[in-house]
Amino acid sequence: MPFPPRPIDSTLHGVTDYCAGGTLLTIFPRLASIEGTESARQIRTAGAIHGGYSAITDYPLGIVKLIPFKAHLALDAVGALALAVTPFASGQWKKGAKHWVPHVALCLFELSALLMTDPTGAGDFHGDIEAVRAANMEDPHRKIYDGAPAVRPAVAV
Amino acid sequence: MSSKASITVLRAREEVERLWRDSKYRSDSIEKADAAVRFVDAPGDRGTEIHVDVQKSAPGGKLGEAVQKVLGTEPLAKVKDDLRRFKQLVETGVIVRSEGVPEGELLERKRGQRAAQPLEPSELNEVGV
Amino acid sequence: MRANVWSGRNQVQVENVSDPKILNDRDAIVKISSTAICGSDLHLYDGYVPKMKRGDILGHEFMGEIVETGKRVSNLQVGDRVVVPFPIACGDCWACKHELYSVCENTNPNSGLAEKFFGHATAGIFGYSHLTGGYAGGQAEYARVPFADVGPIKVEDDLTDEQVLFLSDIFPTGYFGADLCDIRGGEVIAVFGAGAVGQFAIASAVMMGAERVIAIDQYDYRLQMALNKARATDIIDFAKDPDIVEQLKELTGGRGPDAVIDAVGMEAAHGHGAIHAIDRAKQATRSESDRPHALRDAILACRPGGIVSVIGVYGGLMDKFPSGAFMNKGLQLRAGQCHVQKYLKPLYDHIKNGDIDPSFVVTHRLELGMAPDGFETFKHKQDECVKVVLKP
Repeated sequence: MPFPPRPIDSTLHGVTDYCAGGTLLTIFPRLASIEGTESARQIRTAGAIHGGYSAITDYPLGIVKLIPFKAHLALDAVGALALAVTPFASGQWKKGAKHWVPHVALCLFELSALLMTDPTGAGDFHGDIEAVRAANMEDPHRKIYDGAPAVRPAVAV
Repeated sequence: MSSKASITVLRAREEVERLWRDSKYRSDSIEKADAAVRFVDAPGDRGTEIHVDVQKSAPGGKLGEAVQKVLGTEPLAKVKDDLRRFKQLVETGVIVRSEGVPEGELLERKRGQRAAQPLEPSELNEVGV
Repeated sequence: MRANVWSGRNQVQVENVSDPKILNDRDAIVKISSTAICGSDLHLYDGYVPKMKRGDILGHEFMGEIVETGKRVSNLQVGDRVVVPFPIACGDCWACKHELYSVCENTNPNSGLAEKFFGHATAGIFGYSHLTGGYAGGQAEYARVPFADVGPIKVEDDLTDEQVLFLSDIFPTGYFGADLCDIRGGEVIAVFGAGAVGQFAIASAVMMGAERVIAIDQYDYRLQMALNKARATDIIDFAKDPDIVEQLKELTGGRGPDAVIDAVGMEAAHGHGAIHAIDRAKQATRSESDRPHALRDAILACRPGGIVSVIGVYGGLMDKFPSGAFMNKGLQLRAGQCHVQKYLKPLYDHIKNGDIDPSFVVTHRLELGMAPDGFETFKHKQDECVKVVLKP
């Protein structure tokens, strides 16, 4: 595998998108003992937005294939950084560790997942189709559409 | 942890018993393991079953067994290797080799096999060709 | 020599490697004149088959000229033109003696490994991971052929490479798939998958006298090839309407086809609804190795008391197998890697007689060095690709 290794393909990334989005939206605040605070609201919003744009991404688990996968990854990065910055921008970090640590932790998790994601999408075509057409000693279209059938019926009864 | 292994060879029992004792076919690990070996007629036209029971357990009990499994020296697995070699030699006349496993089936080769491409001339000697 | 080697997921490379040597008295060395990329190679390419090593030479469909023989190979001479079957069979074990060549008991030197996955080892296969023995494959200039006195068939008639090359795998495999359906004449056969193997399954069912043969795929150009060349009588394009089971019922007056051939295997592309997303996610996380859509639909669509014949390659485990439908409808499920050696002579004769011209599937013929682009084109169904032949 080329360095750095990128074992997460777009389908697996989609799985983590929905799982993370769902978890952030629902039980994460309770698990991190920040239920009821602005942090909880911020994280839930982040989860909802993340799940939302995942559903309209053009990748195997997207429902409406609207935005390109690379754009999705860019949104992931921007969103992660925005989430990390939020507690510092709003001043709530002064209230204690649990008002900024979850944000930063989630940002780091997202960035590391991005580093391990293969941005070319589920096995994007990376061949040289023009070279193939030029080098092909056969004519595919003619093979399919021209000429008689290639088999006789009922000869192996 | 089972101590038994068996294999079926497509030959009559008398012939299998005779070849088993022949030096060309004799199995080192089964001799060393001091195992109980039985020859049984297989049903129908299937030949002869060879049953090997490596009665003694590994030194060091369960932990010893696990260590041996990782190191590839597990006695029962070596017995199975030898049984397969015997079957190949008797039925086909050769030890089956591939580019990935040029010495033939060996427990030690379960991990870290060479790539499935032709051997260099220098490697041929090492694998007994 | 140059050879096409596996170098990671979605990656192959043509590299210089050593020339093959005789390792056993029953070996032969073949100078390869033509070789091909198989749909099952894509499972290796996509990273779904375990025990691949960087540097493994791929390719199990090849033919050429004998250039060297081991001491005990007397049926072949240097200069003979041969086609090599993809399963390596010894000819001496109980399985081989009963013509079950693809489950030969002796030719997998990694049988301990294979037993862990399948319960028993099966025959060695050229270029198909260390699970099937770690044999070097035939997408190269030369190959070592073990048990050359059992496998290869001599080509002594005036036939082109492309007319006989597919005796190595896909023509016998398609034929085997149809053979398992017990066609006596007058049946309706459905074939899932109109790739090269599906095309031969369709053509074989036609040869055996089936009255209607229905080709199922999502690529129109493949369905057109099935109609124009393989003589399919009907097509189902599930890109237009994903409910295959319903369309098969309609085409058969509510009965369902008498037999169904699965020529798709573990990377089944279709599936609609939530269950498809779950299957894809599970496969991506490697918690389910085999996608079951084609086999599921085959079982649901087949008429009660019918036969489901599986020649698409599966590797591991699948979820949500319709065991209830299978059992209660009294279906027969038959499967296997084709016992190629059993079919070589009869199918060679059909080609010689002009009953079939197997070269109809070849859409791409490329020089060996273009193998990486060939793989990509084949995998992504670009440029109306059905079958890629490589010339070393």
